[in-house]
Amino acid sequence: MSIETRSKFQLFPSHEVNPSPWPIYMSFSLLSLGLTLGLLMHGYILSTWWLILAISVVISTIFLWTRDIIIEGTYLGGHTIAVKRGLNIGFLIFVGTEIMIFIALFWGYFHSAMNPSIEIGCQWPPVGITSIKPTELPLLNTIILLSSGATVTWAHESVLSRNRHNALLGLFITTLLIVIFVLCQICEFNSATFNITDSVYGSIFYATTGLHFIHMIMLSLMLAICTARMYVYHFTATHHVNLETTILYLHILDIIWLFIYIVFYWWGC
Amino acid sequence: MTEYKLQTPGFDARFPQQNQTKHCYQSYLDYHKCVALKGSDFEPCKVFWHTFQSLCPHDWVENWDDEREKGIFPGDLSIDQFKDKTEEKKE
Repeated sequence: MSIETRSKFQLFPSHEVNPSPWPIYMSFSLLSLGLTLGLLMHGYILSTWWLILAISVVISTIFLWTRDIIIEGTYLGGHTIAVKRGLNIGFLIFVGTEIMIFIALFWGYFHSAMNPSIEIGCQWPPVGITSIKPTELPLLNTIILLSSGATVTWAHESVLSRNRHNALLGLFITTLLIVIFVLCQICEFNSATFNITDSVYGSIFYATTGLHFIHMIMLSLMLAICTARMYVYHFTATHHVNLETTILYLHILDIIWLFIYIVFYWWGC
Repeated sequence: MTEYKLQTPGFDARFPQQNQTKHCYQSYLDYHKCVALKGSDFEPCKVFWHTFQSLCPHDWVENWDDEREKGIFPGDLSIDQFKDKTEEKKE
């Protein structure tokens, strides 16, 4: 009996979650990561090994938590229609918070750029800042992201129409495109003539593009996990919450990048 | 003895706000561009001088003067774009 059929016979379709240590583990490991980053950047901690330790704890917690969710969902069949709805709503709320944080950063950018203060000479970009040309690497990045949106749609359609080969190929190409985007961004950050300490321009530029960059690393990990799960037959044509949330995440980051490209690279240069 | 006449800058439609920081700063820029272009004896430059002297706190002006000496003033004091126009007019 498939999960889908079984869920129809359940009187109480929500599964009972076993007591899990991972939420509190995750909270403390993220607190540790944040504190370590802050203390390291301001010179209170001198060894980067603490940072590597904090990141290792975060990543192992992600791994173990994800493992538990996969066991509950795929192997124990706990993800009924009601649970799937809950997971999707949860992810939608998460995406909402992501949009809000980027809105805050855009607000900061417009505040500084539309009426530049006298401290930076009433000019945007400030004197001495050579902004990145929007027709070079950022344009390539935009094209890469738009293509990844197309390939992921192809992969999704293939999953829905039960075409395993095309789904795997689509997911693999999408992962590759996102990895290329991340590498291009590393190139761009390395070759930029200004850094995060160079006036409000550098601060707001790297705060926003850097946050988007970290999200893209996360997205490439999520896509890699989806590709692997597709390969080991975790997804069916009707049940693939992981894939759906990853696709939603990709599209949201795609749209945010378009706004970053238009505002930060084009309008603000 | 001549009677002292208090002169403060009047309303400028570019800076309608109560906060006149930008008005002060723009006058400072305009004065130094004007002097660089026309020399310190050029009478019309005085209006910019009066405006920023009246509106800007003195420590700001001292700070900006220091920055200009050190070559780290962030404002745009380039006059090349105006030079071409004056030369064209002369011709």
